[in-house]
Amino acid sequence: MALLEVKNLSLSIGGFPILGDVDLSVEAGEVLGVIGESGSGKSMTALSIMQLLPTGSVAGGSIRLEGREVLGLPDREMRAIRGQAVGMVFQEPMTALNPVKTIGDQVAETAMVHGGMGREAALKVARETLDRVELPADRFPLDRYPHELSGGQRQRVVIAMAIAMRPKLLIADEPTTALDVTTQAQILKLLQRLVDEDGMGLIFITHDLGVVAGIADKVAIMRQGEVVEAGATVALFRNLQHPYSKALFEASSHVPPRIPPTDTSGTPVLSVDAVVREYPLPRRNLFGKRPVLRAVDGVTLAIGRGENVGLVGESGCGKSTLARAIMSLEPIQGGHIAIAGEGLDPRHGASFETRRKMQVVFQDPYGSFNPRHRVDRLVSEPFHLLGAAAPQGAEREKRVTRALEEVGLTAADAHKYVHEFSGGQRQRIAIARALIIEPDLIILDEAVSALDVSVRAQVLDLLADLSDRLQISYLFISHDLAVVRSITDRVLVMKAGKIVEEGPTEEVFRAPKHPYTQELLAATPNLELALSERERTGR
Amino acid sequence: MPSYILGRIVSLVLSLIAASIVIFLVLEVVPGDPAQFMLGLNATPDAVATLRQTLGLDGPLLERYFSWIFGLLQGDFGVSYTYRVPVAGMIADRIWISIPLAIYALVLSTLIAFPVGILAAVKRNSVTDTSIMGLTQIGVAVPNFWFAMLLVLLFAVTLRWFSAGGFAGWQDPLMALKSLTLPAVALALPQASILARVMRSSLLDTLGEDYIRSARAKGLSQGQTLWRHALRNALIPVLTIIGLQFSFLLAGAIIIENVFFLPGLGRMVFQGITSRDLIVVKSVVMLLVFAVIVVTFLVDVAYALVDPRLRRATR
Repeated sequence: MALLEVKNLSLSIGGFPILGDVDLSVEAGEVLGVIGESGSGKSMTALSIMQLLPTGSVAGGSIRLEGREVLGLPDREMRAIRGQAVGMVFQEPMTALNPVKTIGDQVAETAMVHGGMGREAALKVARETLDRVELPADRFPLDRYPHELSGGQRQRVVIAMAIAMRPKLLIADEPTTALDVTTQAQILKLLQRLVDEDGMGLIFITHDLGVVAGIADKVAIMRQGEVVEAGATVALFRNLQHPYSKALFEASSHVPPRIPPTDTSGTPVLSVDAVVREYPLPRRNLFGKRPVLRAVDGVTLAIGRGENVGLVGESGCGKSTLARAIMSLEPIQGGHIAIAGEGLDPRHGASFETRRKMQVVFQDPYGSFNPRHRVDRLVSEPFHLLGAAAPQGAEREKRVTRALEEVGLTAADAHKYVHEFSGGQRQRIAIARALIIEPDLIILDEAVSALDVSVRAQVLDLLADLSDRLQISYLFISHDLAVVRSITDRVLVMKAGKIVEEGPTEEVFRAPKHPYTQELLAATPNLELALSERERTGR
Repeated sequence: MPSYILGRIVSLVLSLIAASIVIFLVLEVVPGDPAQFMLGLNATPDAVATLRQTLGLDGPLLERYFSWIFGLLQGDFGVSYTYRVPVAGMIADRIWISIPLAIYALVLSTLIAFPVGILAAVKRNSVTDTSIMGLTQIGVAVPNFWFAMLLVLLFAVTLRWFSAGGFAGWQDPLMALKSLTLPAVALALPQASILARVMRSSLLDTLGEDYIRSARAKGLSQGQTLWRHALRNALIPVLTIIGLQFSFLLAGAIIIENVFFLPGLGRMVFQGITSRDLIVVKSVVMLLVFAVIVVTFLVDVAYALVDPRLRRATR
């Protein structure tokens, strides 16, 4: 008898079909990877198992936990299962913990609800559980609050909450997506250890094929609320059947065709020389000197015309701060920045003249537009940088249309609002907005990180094509090393405000010199490596 | 935590100093000479000058400011121009009506608003929620003095449960509370309406947070999730409003005090202004500012008690 057996699970919310005929099964000590793009129904499948669905949900089919039907159980009985027999870990560790309660209390709560034990005993369980997730007592006493911990440490607390009662099944919904690669590697190792130690079943939901191949014994690929393909990890990936799975597989390792620039000597489009950006920190005492945080510490880099340069590093390393300094959105405290040979005033920032030579595309395709403006107004916004030379009337419309067509949209889209577009389309609009005044440099700050793999492949193709045709240079900032490898000519690795390694992308990736780069690359999930490792060990 | 409180105290003292300077200067420049006003239109310039000297109105600005401040620090608020009695005594008589009234109204408002706001949030979009929202809308819209008159008509004139106005004195605490009840209710209901709406929306925001889902995944019931996780997080905006409301209730009860013939601070300021008794105005305003700043400080401390993230020295 399987630990968990989901059969013909269907779900509709407010009359809209969300899931149809989902079949899954997990054995004890087994890891099932569920992959799919956003909206494919992976999270809703997980919430169906927990019976934590939004109001207005109607589920059908069967979910059996150790042979017992849980679908349709009253909430009172479900509560005894949640946290006891089935634990769940969510994606966003920064918000998954109650900010006003100590980590000890939050982990102990699971034990108090289920173990029928008092606070004292429950806190003892909490201590043991935190030790198990490698948060030792000397550095992580029970009275710590969530805001005192990093993202990875918080995710460990969330995992501790879920496994305090040693559940038979753990559901982890994108548990590492919000984390840096090195942290992700540690959390994956921890989850694997817990599965091995407790013989627990694990459902691991992710959109990352490399991650899933590393941890999952078997895989289910979901699309539009259905499982399109499922099977043992190696066998499945080595012999994909469904066209969608194949497309997903290809998109995940997609390398856009590029013609790298042959001559990048000329005046660099961007030159950054020993730039320092400091933030004042709160005073430690009333009269002492204010301490400062050096977010960018003497960074030097140059980008030639048509060149694509990657900037990689983990969160907090200063890469976005550097981007804001280059765009002169923030003052710098030392060094020099020049755009196409023209220096920026360190205090007053760039003139319109200089600003029009650079544009930016940010990560969030939802938050970076004013929802009350139509696309034509959004896209033509940078025209104000041209002052009196800005095109008017029919010429303006023509330029908007051209920019939209460059990114694969149509003239008719100019009169729509952003909410009418998907995430990928919105990112195209953001690129159109950056393109419209024909800048020399576009800064792409995690510009494809929020996109699904297939959409990401399309946007990468678009970016490569634009760079080749229009000789635009990119500063491509990302924590995703695979993406940086696919699109950039040169790469810089940043750590704690400093560039620790730089060189031609392929060279750096093939033979990293700095230990930090080596560490980053080793931690990066790699589908092919994970599969051959599985074949070698026969797992 | 101690450094956070120290920081708040420093800010409290600085605010008080700034407020005292502003109050002093504003009352210096307002038209109307108290000496002239006291002596009437027919007074000779000599007599006015003599009186100005006795009242200490002719010294240099700085000297007068400091003597006022040092007086305040020793509890000497000066002597009322009109009544020729120490202002401190006048305030002492009235403060024992105004402060209890404000606290009474605030307690009532909180006792009404919390359950009502929580109920509306939990039963979101139900008939209960809609009715509560409708009632609070009316509560916000109706002016409190009009509401006060309705209360008088119903409970004093028709039912004769309460007296229509006046204050019985604290010799009999029960009677005193009874005479403050109608005014407190009149003050509290509009405030409760606002507070209930804030409570509802804050709680709804909190109930949508990820950690609420985490708590449910641990096996907590909806009620447990609400009490153990949602409520405390929802309190921050509510505390802000409570702080603002207390300040308003202290200083803003003038009309209600008039409706119920309560000899409170509000009425005293009002009379002080009409008779150019500037020393009374100055002292009472300073006192109210002091109360408001102290309440703000207490609210800041309450924030830190509720939210551990604020317990650092600077925010």
